[in-house]
Amino acid sequence: MTEKQFIGKPTNRVDALEKVMGTARFSCDYYLPDMLVARCYRSPLPHARIKLIDSSEALKIPGVKAIITSEDFENHGRFGFPIVDMYMLAYARVRFAGDPIVAVAAEDEDSLQAALKALVVELEPLPGVFDPRNALDSDAPLIGENPRDAEGHPRGNLLIDYIVRQADPDTVLAKCDVVVDDEYTTMHQEHAYIETEGAVAVPWSGNSGVTVYAGCQSPFNARDNLVRTLGLAEEDVRVIQPYVGGAFGGKDDTMYQTIAQVAKLALVAGRPVKMVLSREESLIASYKRDAMVMKYKVGASKDGILKACKFHGIVDSGGYSAITPFTAWRSTIHAMGPYRYEACHVDTDVVYTNNGYAGAFRGFGNTEVCYAIEMAVDDIASQLHLDPMDFRLKNCLRPGDTTSHGQKLGEDVALVDCLEQVRRISDWDNRRKLYDREHQAPTSQGEFRQGIGVAALFHGMSLGAEGKDFAVGTLRINDDNTLTLTSGLTDYGNGSRTVFTLIVAETLGIHPDRIKMLRPDTNTAMNSGPTVASRATVLGGNATRVTAMRMDTLLLTAAADLLGCPIVNIHRNGEMYIGPDEEPVTYEQVVEHAREMGLVLSTIGRWNAPENHWSFESGSGKPYFAYHYGAQVAEVQVDTGTGKVEVTNIWAVHNTGTVIFPQGILGQVYGGITQGLGYALMERVDYDQGYIQTTNFDEYLIPTALDVPDITAEFVEKPFADGPFGAKNIAEPGMVPAAPAIVNAIFHATGRRIKNLPANLERVLIGKDLRKEGSNKACKLGLHQE
Amino acid sequence: MKFELTVNGVRQSSEAPADISLLHFLRDNLRMTGTKEGCNVGECGACSVLLDGKLVNSCLVLAAQANGREVITIEGIHAPDGGPNDLQQAFIEYGAVQCGYCTPGMVLAGEALLNSNPKPTRLEIREAIAGNLCRCTGYQQIVDAIEAAAIHRQEAGHD
Repeated sequence: MTEKQFIGKPTNRVDALEKVMGTARFSCDYYLPDMLVARCYRSPLPHARIKLIDSSEALKIPGVKAIITSEDFENHGRFGFPIVDMYMLAYARVRFAGDPIVAVAAEDEDSLQAALKALVVELEPLPGVFDPRNALDSDAPLIGENPRDAEGHPRGNLLIDYIVRQADPDTVLAKCDVVVDDEYTTMHQEHAYIETEGAVAVPWSGNSGVTVYAGCQSPFNARDNLVRTLGLAEEDVRVIQPYVGGAFGGKDDTMYQTIAQVAKLALVAGRPVKMVLSREESLIASYKRDAMVMKYKVGASKDGILKACKFHGIVDSGGYSAITPFTAWRSTIHAMGPYRYEACHVDTDVVYTNNGYAGAFRGFGNTEVCYAIEMAVDDIASQLHLDPMDFRLKNCLRPGDTTSHGQKLGEDVALVDCLEQVRRISDWDNRRKLYDREHQAPTSQGEFRQGIGVAALFHGMSLGAEGKDFAVGTLRINDDNTLTLTSGLTDYGNGSRTVFTLIVAETLGIHPDRIKMLRPDTNTAMNSGPTVASRATVLGGNATRVTAMRMDTLLLTAAADLLGCPIVNIHRNGEMYIGPDEEPVTYEQVVEHAREMGLVLSTIGRWNAPENHWSFESGSGKPYFAYHYGAQVAEVQVDTGTGKVEVTNIWAVHNTGTVIFPQGILGQVYGGITQGLGYALMERVDYDQGYIQTTNFDEYLIPTALDVPDITAEFVEKPFADGPFGAKNIAEPGMVPAAPAIVNAIFHATGRRIKNLPANLERVLIGKDLRKEGSNKACKLGLHQE
Repeated sequence: MKFELTVNGVRQSSEAPADISLLHFLRDNLRMTGTKEGCNVGECGACSVLLDGKLVNSCLVLAAQANGREVITIEGIHAPDGGPNDLQQAFIEYGAVQCGYCTPGMVLAGEALLNSNPKPTRLEIREAIAGNLCRCTGYQQIVDAIEAAAIHRQEAGHD
């Protein structure tokens, strides 16, 4: 392989300068002339029928310029993907406490607050479902829209179910020497992007159309939703992405609602409208990582071979579907972990409840099941008195293996490499032995105990067999010879603008400083599907590479004409094109000559992901075209007097293929692990009878700089044939194994398996939750107060 | 109520409600949007500014409390030529920036630390930024950047 000029070399993020100077503009930073401020009236009840909405008094308040409800949208503003069950403002019913019912735009905060108070909204409370375990009971109140006996929905609140089927695990489990039979639970997790949801809409002259500035996972989805729910033509809607202050999967459905609300308010008022959610409103209104109940039976023979896995999961989707069917499908595919079995059955039920609602969040279903299966596998190893690292190495997927889905894997499988490398860099064997020796002495209360744990990971790349998977990029050379690059995929901090810039630079041999990568704008970029499922580097990167290769062909054609030689005789040195007579011509000369030849220096490239297929009936197929593999080791120190866990070290090795943007990939791993550490130890969105208990960062704790150790991350750069320059994805995989590695280390330190996340003080210390007294109901919903 | 305060060395006066926070005064009245709102309860540090040289959450300070005093925001942090100063340059080079929303507050927390402790250990850096939440980076590259800037300033001081 030839030496690369830009890929894998130290590079700065293309947008870092604006961000450190404080000049990068986020949605909330737009202050336009005549701009109105807006807010929603949200449901104070978790489940209720909307009996009456009367805004006549509120409209009389001076300064109030527009008030809208579901009646102001086409088809009541119904939207959603893959299941259409949501509204831009609630229609007929509210399904969670915080569901938006009315949106108001006013001159200032005072008139806005007065209007929210003057609104008359009559709700008739309905019984709710709050425990997902009871959602499918025959007497459970119906939350979804289908009757109990509807075709395809035979069990009332069942939203959808998925299976994996490989042989018969019951028969195999009966013959196993060790079977772990346990239930594990995870709770809702908040994305906690530091920038809350916000959007600004600007109506066009004569209210003929609207431009919206908003950070979201996909401006194209936002536009398509606006076209459908506002009844506008595609060319009358423009969505521009300003800088986005973090997303992690969280700026999808809630943002599409916010975008539609401000767009409609702006069209009604004929003035720009801005809505920015307060932190409290953000926590109440936005979707979360789904909570899951997971029952596992995993069996092995006494010589340490995994034999069978049986899984039943219940996914709490809350009041709406959002993207939870995709999340649950990913849970289903990954539930057995990256191991070989003789038999495996997976059953996942997705149910409606009235606990907020769930949607996409980094790891997207794998984060949940990886925590549980990695603990189950760890449990088997410990019951067999085997080293957990050895046990994983013995059973993990290798090149050419066939998975429980019936997928024959390629040569890119690098889990063994990841496990062996993380074993080495963490000094696993010595530390493990040292702590084992220390644990032989009896513990006295208050003593510190150390432990070390491991977790392995596979993570299907991009969307999988859920739909057509493609991305599109465009590139043009401007009059001043700079290049403008677009992608339909978003950079909300993940670094894809830098990655795509480097791919163009490397492909064309042009310095990255010449390339300007635009942020997504539905008028300049082309739809590439949503920026989710860690698809940017591979999907967007390949589309960018195709686009750049087309441009390279144009420039080489011009260079060949200029140098009077065939293309094959040209070689490149930096930005120089050199012909057989060694006389170099510059990039500028080539571009100028291309123009003289009449070549159009503008290219579009599309990349389609390789085919996947999945049979939902037989529970087998090829769910993803490839997988990312990784392994992490965590070391903890537990205070046996208080249950406090300090994570003292984390080592991570990921099979990322070629590293394109070193600073960025490290940031993805460090940041992912930190979110995983929060998931393991402190993050917990509690719903009590549908009422959220944590509405700001004083109650919803995320890791601070003092909660995270210095992390060591390394990469297995085995080039991936289907990736741009051999790269794989990274964003989600960095997070997924962190929590199980930490809870396995807690087990090593204390002998206690934490089967319910998070591993908070009482669970670590006494193995159960302390009972809470009193009602938590009304206290948190300060929705309509100033 | 009329407010008069010095922001980044420039005297600013503006009419605003008496109960306005310094954060909202900076953003809504002075349109200095580099200072961000993240929680409005003093937990996240996105609104960090220096008040008479001391790091504060501007959402918890009334503009009235800052009256007649000196405020430094991110707009006031730069090299003499208007470009990034050494700390900001270190943030760029060490990958301390992802989405960028917490970055202005982080830079100010770093400046406040380096003003009071020119030779911080990594633990002292972590303590100094513990009031500033970042959801993207896992903090490590921010610690790297502040450490590098500290070394740079020590070396520059010895020249």
